[in-house]
Amino acid sequence: MSDTHATDHHYHPPGLAHQFEDMQQQEESNIIGMWMFLAQEIMFFGGMFLVYLLFRSKYPMAFAAGSNHLDAFLGGANTLVLIVSSLTMALTVYYAQKSNRMMQVIMIILTMIFGAAFLGVKAVEYTDKYSHGLVPYANWNKRTAKKADGAHSETKEVKKFYASAAAAPGESAKHEYYNPTGEFQWTNWNESDPLIKLAVDNNYLTADEKLGYFTTNAQGEREFSQEKFTGKIRIFFWIYFAMTGLHAIHMIIGLGMMAWLLWKAWQGTYSAEFYSPVEIAGLYWHFVDIVWIFLFPLLYLLGRHFLHGGGH
Amino acid sequence: MSDNHKEHSHNEPHMGIPQYIGIFMILVVGTALTYITAQWDLDRFFSGANTLLALLIAFTKMTFVVLYFMHVRWNGRLIWVTVTGSFVFMLIMFAFTMQDYLTRGSGIFTP
Repeated sequence: MSDTHATDHHYHPPGLAHQFEDMQQQEESNIIGMWMFLAQEIMFFGGMFLVYLLFRSKYPMAFAAGSNHLDAFLGGANTLVLIVSSLTMALTVYYAQKSNRMMQVIMIILTMIFGAAFLGVKAVEYTDKYSHGLVPYANWNKRTAKKADGAHSETKEVKKFYASAAAAPGESAKHEYYNPTGEFQWTNWNESDPLIKLAVDNNYLTADEKLGYFTTNAQGEREFSQEKFTGKIRIFFWIYFAMTGLHAIHMIIGLGMMAWLLWKAWQGTYSAEFYSPVEIAGLYWHFVDIVWIFLFPLLYLLGRHFLHGGGH
Repeated sequence: MSDNHKEHSHNEPHMGIPQYIGIFMILVVGTALTYITAQWDLDRFFSGANTLLALLIAFTKMTFVVLYFMHVRWNGRLIWVTVTGSFVFMLIMFAFTMQDYLTRGSGIFTP
């Protein structure tokens, strides 16, 4: 501690850069610098949230339908995992301020474990979406890649599906991932579907939805179009992958920062005298957590009450 | 730090471990509430009530993370301005974009 600070002007704390008056000023400058970076991150993610807001206000029903194909339980569990990692990160700063080297190292390792667990769950979710053809672009799913002549290649999975389908028709399709067109795999929606019937009967549809989901048939009547509706759900999945993907990239960068922090903390770099890097890395980690706090309800929990129970 | 310097030294931890655990528990409860209330049909009261409640909980959670985990509560005013300013600018971006999109095409389509 710089007890001699007020009297002895020659005392120089080991972590103090020459352009700063004292440790307090240096610390504050570091935090302001990090917050300036986070401010542009807020605008950066804000742009994505704006795209979300815009398209959801246009096609709320398609968003609810798409959201129901996400696993809300995994999303919620991941939220908790991130919150635990935020706690361990906050405690890393706490132990740095206490100059406790060993507890810093333990807390950084815990933060990394929970961060990696989050990415692991995310990988499971992405694999599931990929296997169900819920990818933004049809031919990205290589299991269903089209041949040059337009026919679908008979991959191992497709052959397995036919074999099992012959054995027990109807049943196996639930478990085997077979996706001949690379399209979204779910029960086809039509006008008699309870959700769509409810929305149409009660005039819930937005003007954009009335144009976006329906076609006019030969008699000049409005007709629900499965294809047009699926196209709007595709927008939801574009946004889902863009936002969660960007968030996952931030997590990976965060893990890299944690690895560096772990190395430095192991060397005993940080103490009550100097712990700015821990504080800065913590700000970044908490920010990524905050982004997920918003992503979870906005992507995973749309229209849960509408489609599953809730009195309907 | 010496007593004559500043009444609160930035080197001291701002909160004890029980306080950190307390904030953590608030965040866990918030997450559980978000998950549970999403199953309720609040849209019967007014359209978008479910989303509004989810966002209110998210904002509350964010406030606790920013104030306590990110220590903004104990930071100087310049940091307060930076934090609130960045969110206000995001809201301005939302508002100006939506005042355009939400007012487009009204009255053209007749159901």
